Amino acid sequence: MDLSFLPRFPPPLGDVSVIALILLAGLGTGELFRRVLLLPRISGYVLAGVLLGPGTFGLLDRTMLEGAQLLVDIALGLILFELGSRLDWQWFRRNRWLLASSVTEIALSFALVWLVLALLRIPWLQAAIAAAIGAATGASVLLVVIHDQRADGLLTDRAVNLTALNNVFSVVAVTMLLAFLHLEYRPGVTILLLQPLYLLLGSTLLGYLASVALVLLARWLGKHEDLQFIALVAMVLLTVGFAKALQLSMLISLLALGVMARNRDRDRDLLPVEFGATAQVLFVVLFVITGAAVTLGELAAGAGVAVAYVLARLAGKLLGVVPFAGRSGLSARKAVLLGLTLMPMSATAVAMVEATAHYYPQFGERLAAVVLGAVLILELTAPLATQLALRAAGETHPEARWR
Amino acid sequence: MTPLPFKTSELYTLGVELELQVLNSRDYNLTGGAVDLLSLLEKTPHPGDIKPEITEAMIEISTGIQRGYTGLRSELTDIREAMVREAERLNLSIAGGGAHPFQKWQDQRIFAAPRFKHIHDLYGYLAKQFTVFGQHVHIGCDSGHAAVRLIHLFSRYIPHFIALSASSPFFQGVETAFASSRLNSVSAFPLAGHMPFLADWDAFTEYFEHMRRLQVVESMKDFYWDIRPKPEYGTIEVRVCDTPLSLERAAALAEYARALARYLSEDKPLEPSADVYLVYGYNRFLACRFGLDAEVIDPYERRKRLLSEEIGYTLGLVSRYASDEAGAAALLRLRDVASLRRGDSVLLRERLAQSKSLSDVVRWAADLWMRG
Repeated sequence: MDLSFLPRFPPPLGDVSVIALILLAGLGTGELFRRVLLLPRISGYVLAGVLLGPGTFGLLDRTMLEGAQLLVDIALGLILFELGSRLDWQWFRRNRWLLASSVTEIALSFALVWLVLALLRIPWLQAAIAAAIGAATGASVLLVVIHDQRADGLLTDRAVNLTALNNVFSVVAVTMLLAFLHLEYRPGVTILLLQPLYLLLGSTLLGYLASVALVLLARWLGKHEDLQFIALVAMVLLTVGFAKALQLSMLISLLALGVMARNRDRDRDLLPVEFGATAQVLFVVLFVITGAAVTLGELAAGAGVAVAYVLARLAGKLLGVVPFAGRSGLSARKAVLLGLTLMPMSATAVAMVEATAHYYPQFGERLAAVVLGAVLILELTAPLATQLALRAAGETHPEARWR
Repeated sequence: MTPLPFKTSELYTLGVELELQVLNSRDYNLTGGAVDLLSLLEKTPHPGDIKPEITEAMIEISTGIQRGYTGLRSELTDIREAMVREAERLNLSIAGGGAHPFQKWQDQRIFAAPRFKHIHDLYGYLAKQFTVFGQHVHIGCDSGHAAVRLIHLFSRYIPHFIALSASSPFFQGVETAFASSRLNSVSAFPLAGHMPFLADWDAFTEYFEHMRRLQVVESMKDFYWDIRPKPEYGTIEVRVCDTPLSLERAAALAEYARALARYLSEDKPLEPSADVYLVYGYNRFLACRFGLDAEVIDPYERRKRLLSEEIGYTLGLVSRYASDEAGAAALLRLRDVASLRRGDSVLLRERLAQSKSLSDVVRWAADLWMRG
């Protein structure tokens, strides 16, 4: 009997089914988190990723994760574009104390984490890279919470602006530190300066070109939200594609795209991005995949270090924003809340760890052990902290709590 | 009956209150920045008074008692300077205009104060829909009797002030076809409208006491009338104006109200008439809907008249009562606005036709308010 029409057993799961699995697992865990634990769904999505991921139950393996990479890129691209488009240089110029609090917040969270890790006998370069990664606030968590809660106000705006800057710092600092690492393997001083320069200028130029194209496209399309969303996704993907091909920074290119699209758009042809239901699908995938990069084993092994990392980082953020609060026009109470909104660490941190591991496998593995434990702790706690801080500041939408 | 004391004011003194829009500098939507802005302003010396309003994206400025146009305008300018300086630290923009063109009322948050919470509890969604922005002008009266009489006389001229200030053609993202859509939000309240046709202050006091015994009102604040007496200030308060787009226009409107009050009190061209209130509601609608293009009904002459012509004519009559030279010049500019029929609502529509973006319209309006 010829049964060759039947599939192999077990049937090979294609990318499509993997994404369905990711979505369903995320959806289920997210809802359980919200209903039973009264925690934000985001934490649930991440935990679903942790459990499904190669490090835990292994339902998702490396190749499957790569199959979902496209969706992750779009999701992260949209988020970084939005982050860039909300960055307001004028504000930093008009309010120097705000700039001061940004600089100290970045410097202190970087320095304190580095110091604490060094005290815990982690080699200096590894500690420095881990600290530089930690200087960045997880833009995906922050912006998704803001959209979810429909938050609007001064604290929200400050959190977004400080996040944009600390993300840029983080990318540049990590790149420079990696050049040091490079030096250890292969001596040569030029790379120490040239690579960050190439990265910064090249990524900015790429973002600039994409922004010109996007604004022209939006003008031609007219004020149709759905058409403009398509154009935006296309330009975001184009930017991601070129950034990867040219070994530029995806993060800086997308931020630059957002910043410049907004500033060049004097006639307001570009409509504000509304993250509709489609984008929510992408965000679930993003958070599940972020979780999949983390393993519970890692956390168990380095729990102490991870906790120390998280606390030092939080102290740095708080000590950075609180002293300048009054002068920059923020009450002390709101400054503390602002510090809490800067807590999240997310997809971009994972991406930086993975990029390091890609070039320097051994070094990356040790780095992952330090950073990813902290990411896991923060994925489970920071969404709630951010949400509560925005609510305590009275900036969430009156109807958001029923969502 | 406890008599309602009317504080005697110096005749024809002036005071202005303006409700202003607090905006983000990103897409120029309303944003709940009043709390933070107010706490900064508490620490900065400035003339006048700056207070919260019903929702968090509103802020109210008010001047002290002024004798004329120049003093009023310079006090308003000083308040604005202080406010703009602090607003810029917070990355906020401030704008005039009777309504925000595209805010959604359900996004507004009630300002945390017992009085506003009470209003929200009582009126429900009307409270949030009340996120509209008006100019109130106080004019000093020497007695309650004079105040009641002046209100009746002034009521005939309400369309002038509506049309000259109208600056809310867009509401909730929609072209309303009205020059002033704001007053429609006020009309929803049960105690909106006009003061009844009462003969004098004693009659007014009796009416007020009666309403209080019936538990319809607790204080004068509960009447949302277009013009109401303010016994504790010794003024009448004209409340029909949209907040204009520019500070200069706000001062000019106050100057017109002051000169008109003086003309009506001293020249005595008219006597109070119940007929005014027969046409009142309809005239008010016509002025809101068509602005300076309206044709309104003259209750004394009993015929229709072009509002723009009537305003020009009246401004001519009252110009000799201008408080000073600058005030006279302001009245002349107001006359041009009327004769050209180019009020703020027209300018807003032109701007939209150019830019096709309500967000850009608000950005332009904010620039006009903060630097105009």
